[in-house]
Amino acid sequence: MSILDEGFRAPGGSSRNRPHGNLGVLKIAVLGMFLVLGIRLGKMQLLDGSNYAERSRENHIVQKNILPTRGLITDRNGEPLVQNVGVYSATILPETLPEKEADRYQIYLKLQGLIGVSPLEVKAKVDDAIEAGKAYIAITVADNLPKEKALALDEVSVDMPGVSLAITPGRDYIGGEEFSHILGYIGPQFAEDAARLKGQNYQLNEPVGKDGLEARYEADLRGTVGFTAVEQDAYGHQITALQSKDPLPGDSLKLAIDAGLQRYVGQLLQDSLADTSGVWGDATVAAAVVMDPVTGEILAMNSLPVYDNNIWAENKIRSDELDRLVHDDKTFTLLNKALSSAAPGSTFKIVTASAGLEEGNVTANTTRYIPKTLEFKGENGVDYPLEDWRQHGNISLVDAIAWSSNIYMFEVAGGLPQERIPGLGKDPETSAVILADWARNFGFGQPTGIDIYGEASGTIPTPDWKRRIYSGPQFNSSDREWFISDTYFSAIGQGNVLATPLQVARMTAAIANGGKLVTPHLVNEVISPDGKTVRKIEPQYQDVGLTKSTIDTIRQGMWGSVNYGAGARANIPQAVVAGKTGTAEFNKPDGTKSQHAWFTGFAPFDNPEVVVTVYFDIGVGGDKAAPTAAKIFQYYFENVKR
Amino acid sequence: MSSVTYGGYGGRVRTSTSVWRGWDRFDYLMALTAMALVCVGLILIYSGSLSFYDGPLTSFSSPVFKQIIFACIGITGMLVISKVDYHYLTHYAWVLYGIGILSLIAILAIGQTAFGSTRWFDLGPIQVQPSEFAKLATILALARFFSEHGGDARDLKTLLISLAIVAPVSGLVFIEPDLGTSIVFFAIWLGIVVVAGVSRSHLLVMGAIFIAVFPFVWTFAIADYQVERVSVLVDSNEDSLGAGYNVNQSKIAVGSGQVLGKGWTNGDQTQLGYLKVATKDFIFSLLSEEFGFVGCMFVFGLFILLLMRGVRAAQIAGDTAGQLIAVGIVMLILMQTFINVAVNLSIFPVTGVPLPFISQGGSSLVSLFISLGILQSIVMRHRAYRQT
Repeated sequence: MSILDEGFRAPGGSSRNRPHGNLGVLKIAVLGMFLVLGIRLGKMQLLDGSNYAERSRENHIVQKNILPTRGLITDRNGEPLVQNVGVYSATILPETLPEKEADRYQIYLKLQGLIGVSPLEVKAKVDDAIEAGKAYIAITVADNLPKEKALALDEVSVDMPGVSLAITPGRDYIGGEEFSHILGYIGPQFAEDAARLKGQNYQLNEPVGKDGLEARYEADLRGTVGFTAVEQDAYGHQITALQSKDPLPGDSLKLAIDAGLQRYVGQLLQDSLADTSGVWGDATVAAAVVMDPVTGEILAMNSLPVYDNNIWAENKIRSDELDRLVHDDKTFTLLNKALSSAAPGSTFKIVTASAGLEEGNVTANTTRYIPKTLEFKGENGVDYPLEDWRQHGNISLVDAIAWSSNIYMFEVAGGLPQERIPGLGKDPETSAVILADWARNFGFGQPTGIDIYGEASGTIPTPDWKRRIYSGPQFNSSDREWFISDTYFSAIGQGNVLATPLQVARMTAAIANGGKLVTPHLVNEVISPDGKTVRKIEPQYQDVGLTKSTIDTIRQGMWGSVNYGAGARANIPQAVVAGKTGTAEFNKPDGTKSQHAWFTGFAPFDNPEVVVTVYFDIGVGGDKAAPTAAKIFQYYFENVKR
Repeated sequence: MSSVTYGGYGGRVRTSTSVWRGWDRFDYLMALTAMALVCVGLILIYSGSLSFYDGPLTSFSSPVFKQIIFACIGITGMLVISKVDYHYLTHYAWVLYGIGILSLIAILAIGQTAFGSTRWFDLGPIQVQPSEFAKLATILALARFFSEHGGDARDLKTLLISLAIVAPVSGLVFIEPDLGTSIVFFAIWLGIVVVAGVSRSHLLVMGAIFIAVFPFVWTFAIADYQVERVSVLVDSNEDSLGAGYNVNQSKIAVGSGQVLGKGWTNGDQTQLGYLKVATKDFIFSLLSEEFGFVGCMFVFGLFILLLMRGVRAAQIAGDTAGQLIAVGIVMLILMQTFINVAVNLSIFPVTGVPLPFISQGGSSLVSLFISLGILQSIVMRHRAYRQT
């Protein structure tokens, strides 16, 4: 009666409607399909399970690094030269952006409103990163954001998946532009260094020291990275903090530099660039080194022109300025002139005189008549006029140093064959080799080992060196020949001799301290965050190999220079100064001749505690460098407390 | 209520018209297996919905509670249908088939679109998926057709006509687009014609034609999203944030479950939202992640048991129509399970086929229980026909 009853009847017993299908196939299909699924499941869960488990962990456990506070740098009196600041930048992590292009663009537009970046630029950056398969690396879309913009971005970034505010440690160099060459700067890792730094556990966003002490003492200043591991859901929300390790701040550096002196010298050099003699024109670059001759501590090391090393951190805002700085081919501002070589001129006569005294071909009292011009018969039999800067008359070696006689020093080094005056060796070549050996004993031709990168070695020419340098088809065989004039020019620090102001200062220190070649250093102490001394930089010495009488004679000459000779303008009332001027002729790029001005000296004469070396690229040693050095000595004795 | 029939064999008490008749032949094992699968589903839906639902369990907005309601509706439907003689259904098969076709056409015009596919009618609080209804209507139509043609698919003409019955339904579903369901339709047809004794050479020729035509279908007929999903399957790492995202995350979820799983509600792929639609199409990934290989094997066991009870129904069916309906329903459940799990295991392109009895979703659950009701109807009536 109802459909709930078995109302229907099959048309009685018709064989047509007897079920006759083969259901074995169906059973096989059921079992077969589950077998396929079971095998696949077994492979995924049992064979590859641990691999997938690892990927699952990576998926949701995000390790975030906490960058350590970088160590500070202070001068010898504890005055801070740098402070740590946060650098705000906007970053985008492409893989967490919304999937739809339209949604992404909304975010780019919002960013434009907030921090003024072009949405098309951002889009191009993001698309490039995704195309390169690097969607998991955050892209910086704007940096050096002002604090208020950074805070505004931080507030709204919650609603902008993929966008976040990154704060990276930065440096504010507060000491002044005079410290730029010494301190260097920090910056993001270069791509080519990233692999090496990763090996040292550097994080990709961790800045590294790029130059100066920041680079040299990177390992001390850096500190130890901390981390937090957080569990994060698919939408980037933090669920739980799993574990964390606090970062350890880096060690601080206490320098040998006296900040006041450094600033004074910088300003003094700047003020002294202008030409007062009206002969050679204004100097464009200058350098000075003030060091302790006994310990090798560098009290000041200046290079002019100066620049502001904060420019690297502000490179986006100050890109024009930075561009000019990097492409400066007039004064090469970024180059530390105290570590760059130039012809040392007459300051090198200290080496020549020491060599003569030690080799025995002159004594302190060897007196010779030195005319203004000496007719000299060259190897080819032709007469050449040798010029001195004035008529010296009969002078001893001490006076030759004091008055800076060129011809006297020619004779000390190379002798004068026509008058049978012996040189350092039996012939000009041997003499040159002996002179070069003594120059090396004084530390020339090699880095001083100061604790900063980028030091030039300078050049000390020898016959072998000349043959090597002038080899090649573009030179004649006579170019490679060593003439007695080569020995002569080397003797007065010209020709091919090149030395850095620091090398000259170190040579002066050796005379001042009794014959020890000291390794100069900028840093005195490395100090841990809790104020303990991690290590002290101890003075290191090599022996120059001078006898006491040689040293005394040289010191007499240097005393004479400042007290009655060529360096008289370095004389100061506060202490007895001894020194040596230098005026090195050189050819300017335009072919005209000009002169470098040098002065190097020490004081007090009896108990030397400071060496000052001053260099100007253009000028006369006695007129320009010597008075500048005098002011530095004065400042030192009046203001530097040690 | 007469107590005479209770516990007795219905066949012997033919004169009674009580509703209690025939329950002794009801396949309780099949029903309990299905309910066990629903329970597994409830456990998984609870875990999978934690990340988006944190209200009370007994609320109409709780996914678990809703699923329980639908299960109750489904079970009631099953009990009612099992008392209905399935011949009523075959009697109206063509009408039902026609309604099915019309509803599929209607949905293309006015249905709701989600995830780029139009599959639902939105009837206020509930959504109805007409393809669920169309599946059963098609099975009934095929069974009716073959039972009127001697239950025999040996004849090429019969075979082609039967194909013509399936093609429009499958085609309409394909346009939605719903590749998975469209494959399910063909699998049902294939299962029915094989049991109905299709000639092997016919099958081979048709297979060959299909393979020849396939590249053209691939180029012109398959939607871009399908091509993308298939190619993503080949290399899901290629574009891990686009179409490959789901595939990748489900693979990680499944694989990371390992032997015993991460424990109920402890699957971090699921709980942290990396696995999308974790209570629906990707519920198997959730099962794999939280209960591991062992849990999956248990569920496979339940499915095999359920399907074998279905095969049993086909075996003992009183007539060809009953047998072919049973075969169709077994194929329906088998193929949906296979495609869904295969998608979860990344051996089939992502397509919206739910996991029978387990995935969250009312239409599917109710229609599956009604399918079981039809199987029960076949089982409960086998004796009557054997005896005539």
